[in-house]
Amino acid sequence: MKINKKGDKLLSIYWFAILVIVATGVVIMVNVYYGSPYDVRQVESGILANHVANCIYFGGEVNPSLISSNGIFKEDFRDHFMNYCTLNFSVEGEFTQIPYYLEINFFKGIDSPTSVFNISEGNQNLKSDCGVDVQDKSKLSKCTSNSFFMKLNSNDVYFVKILAVVSKVNENTN
Amino acid sequence: MVKRKFKRGELLVENIIFLVLNVAFLAILVLFLINQGSGASALEDAYSKQVALTLDAGMPGTTILINFQSAKEVSDKNKIPFQDVLLIKDHYVTVKLSDKSGKSYQFFNDINVSTLRPEKDANGNFDGYYFIELRRKV
Repeated sequence: MKINKKGDKLLSIYWFAILVIVATGVVIMVNVYYGSPYDVRQVESGILANHVANCIYFGGEVNPSLISSNGIFKEDFRDHFMNYCTLNFSVEGEFTQIPYYLEINFFKGIDSPTSVFNISEGNQNLKSDCGVDVQDKSKLSKCTSNSFFMKLNSNDVYFVKILAVVSKVNENTN
Repeated sequence: MVKRKFKRGELLVENIIFLVLNVAFLAILVLFLINQGSGASALEDAYSKQVALTLDAGMPGTTILINFQSAKEVSDKNKIPFQDVLLIKDHYVTVKLSDKSGKSYQFFNDINVSTLRPEKDANGNFDGYYFIELRRKV
């Protein structure tokens, strides 16, 4: 009885074709995974918010440059906020947008609806990315919102809300 | 009398070749995966961001020792001097592990990086660590 061995050779070809397909798939998946940069913007915006919070109110003490002894906010603090809080948003390149936005609001008391003093620095256009409800948010800026109560020596209490936004889409996404 | 389908020797050789080829394929795949994970580009991205975030969170008077040993292995392979791997200038952290690549990341903390140097061991060779000292800007 003759045995047809041609089927074995045909099977080997299919087997190696499958191996090549699997290898190609693995290479593509690995390249997609390692080709994506790490997205650290959420952490970065958190660090920025904490940095500002510590600048305003640290160890139970209000920054003396922010508010005078009779409870009046100093305009000089708003004008030179970046210097007082050791922040630098400068970017390289003439047409490069600033990838940060900061907004700080001070509300008198616990449930006051309007802020008595506010500071904003950076690229205001980034604020609109916060609160957008879409499926793929990777191309939107990352926002962190911090809030705390600030008690002055005069026993006045202010509610402070900080919004820190970091863009940097090119460095953190594909 | 039943005729055998294959001769004993042929069956064994074919199976051995088949197994060897499969093992070789898996080995190449695993090596590829390992190489990709420790590639210059991925490490540059990770290190530049780690250092930038560390500087953002740093306060004046802080000294930082950063482990760059994995990066040093790659930079040594690509003949990049270790003292040129990390550069901090104008609020940008740049990590360069090969001639053809490099990654920069901006940090917002307006602090003075007063000292940035690669550490050396007792024999005067770079040990893979970077020493950074932060001071308040005057």
